[in-house]
Amino acid sequence: MASEGDFQPTLRLHALSWLFGLSGAIKQMVLPLIALLFFNVRDETPGPFGPWIVPIIVVLVAVRAVWIQLTFRYGFSPTGLVIREGMIFRNTRHIEYARIENVDTERSLLHRLLGVAEVRVQTSTGGKPEALISVLDLAAVQRMRERIFAAARSVEQTAATPAEDTLLHLDMGELVRHGLIDNRGMILVAAAFGVLHEAGVFVINQQLVDRLLHSPSAAGLAALGLMMQIGLGVLTILAAIIAVRVLSVIQAILTFYDFRLTRVAGDLRARYGLFTRVALTLRTRRIQAVHQNESLLHRWFDRVSLSVDLAGDSGGSEGNGDNSRSKTRWLAPVCPASAAPKLIATALPALDLSTEPNWQPLASGARGRVFRKTLLWLIVILTAPAIWYLREGAIVIVLGCIPLAWMHAHLYVKNTRWALARDAVMFRRGWLNRQLTIVPRDRVQTSSIESSPFDRRSRMASIYVDTAGASPLSAGIRIRYLAADVAERLAAALYRTAGVTN
Amino acid sequence: MAPLQLSHVDSAIIGVWRWQAAIATLIVAVATFAISPSLPFLWPFAPALVVIGGIFLSWWWPSVSYRHLRYGVDETGIAIESGVIWRSRIALPRVRIQHTDVSQGPLERRYGIGTLKMYTAGSRHTKIELPGLQHEEAIALRDALLAEGAGSGV
Repeated sequence: MASEGDFQPTLRLHALSWLFGLSGAIKQMVLPLIALLFFNVRDETPGPFGPWIVPIIVVLVAVRAVWIQLTFRYGFSPTGLVIREGMIFRNTRHIEYARIENVDTERSLLHRLLGVAEVRVQTSTGGKPEALISVLDLAAVQRMRERIFAAARSVEQTAATPAEDTLLHLDMGELVRHGLIDNRGMILVAAAFGVLHEAGVFVINQQLVDRLLHSPSAAGLAALGLMMQIGLGVLTILAAIIAVRVLSVIQAILTFYDFRLTRVAGDLRARYGLFTRVALTLRTRRIQAVHQNESLLHRWFDRVSLSVDLAGDSGGSEGNGDNSRSKTRWLAPVCPASAAPKLIATALPALDLSTEPNWQPLASGARGRVFRKTLLWLIVILTAPAIWYLREGAIVIVLGCIPLAWMHAHLYVKNTRWALARDAVMFRRGWLNRQLTIVPRDRVQTSSIESSPFDRRSRMASIYVDTAGASPLSAGIRIRYLAADVAERLAAALYRTAGVTN
Repeated sequence: MAPLQLSHVDSAIIGVWRWQAAIATLIVAVATFAISPSLPFLWPFAPALVVIGGIFLSWWWPSVSYRHLRYGVDETGIAIESGVIWRSRIALPRVRIQHTDVSQGPLERRYGIGTLKMYTAGSRHTKIELPGLQHEEAIALRDALLAEGAGSGV
């Protein structure tokens, strides 16, 4: 039996791996490449390699992809998965079987046509996946799964295989609803606009636009009269809104087609996608927080969306061209509001969520502070444009801010509550867009009390509870406008339990 | 965290901060003196502002900021209070400490002090720094914090 030191991995990647290396690299460079192509076609004096620059780059990238494929080896040593990359700068990585949490796969249309998959080996340490293996054929993935989990968790795995109960399945109706609510199509339109702008389409077509403006149909439009013009404008806007929504629905169907959340021996599995099939394992003991989001549109459809933070997900933007980790980890992109509590309980099995938490309000002066802050911001933002466009009419706008700010402050404070249960800390906030975050107390990393000069004047403080696995922007729980002594007590309680439990 | 006794760090840190601010001021001042004569609307004001601000930052500010920097250690972990205008108190249980550094810059070495850096698996407060400890004290504190902190941290 080979000892650890001299174990040599011998298994190779799939023979067509270079194709995916190439397409991945090109996908990353697509904007500069397009720009370069346009630049060389349009310009009279091309760069050093003239029109050949783009093919040269592509060939170089292809050579690199082939080189990576030829020098990549993986293998199963007695104690762990061994991966060796490179020939000149050789890097050998050893991942113990016991530490491997997930073997996730992602398959785009091309992967599925060729019967291969991109494999990510995840451990509980932070950052990016421990290993990204692109690509293996499905049989090899299956062998890898069997080998890894047979070595590490033979008992759990054999018990798990038969029982896989479906917790949530999104049918076409739900996907359409998700598309309507989510409005991701807006982002697509913006992205398309960006690409067109980058490619110089708008510059080229300047003359075209001029010609269009002086064409007979434009003259006809001008002759239509004001009412017709306004009607036409409204129709155009309506059509645009509908088109964007349709795009959103299509996007939702493409992304989440056949979304299925299942439970296997306490762990959750999510599988979704029409062309790109994603298979994720959400190990419940890695779940750090659960977020529930309920926008105005969600409430119209009586739906909510649920996502989780997983340990080891944060800061994954570096290296390997692997940016899929920064994606939201969906528990349910959309689900009926009545089904949410059960899903949350499944994701956080250690918590006792049966009793209604003891919701606490913010400090009594919070409404006044939110009102003053909102009013100040509204006035700062609106005054200059209002005076510019309306002159004397600006006073109406500025005065109109007062009831608006009051309404916001009132509804915000009314809907913002926090609760400290025996085993979790919960925070819900917002009125137009309602969000609920649940963090188990044994997942709290640090807690900090922060106070600005304004806070101290009104004897308030904000508390920030940090958790692992979230992006720095959306991380943890930040409760503003708490009474200073309440914040102290909350922080002290969280500090004690975070220190005891593990 | 009322039962936790907070204490100040070593006052030698004031010296370090004064030197750091003075050096930074010098660099900025040289740059402003070099550039601003060519911009008539900046000339007497910008350099004067830099010099006054620099003196303020290098003499008065370090001692104020020292008064507001306190820390305390108990069996659960460590709490650090800092900030003059925006004050914060961060409480870090020792089981959450992933790893620690004790670092010393040239100025800190001259004054015999070090900075204790504690890393967590959190998302925003991933690095928590406590400057101004005697170097040996920083190492002792690090050892004390790590001694029983054998948790998984996640």
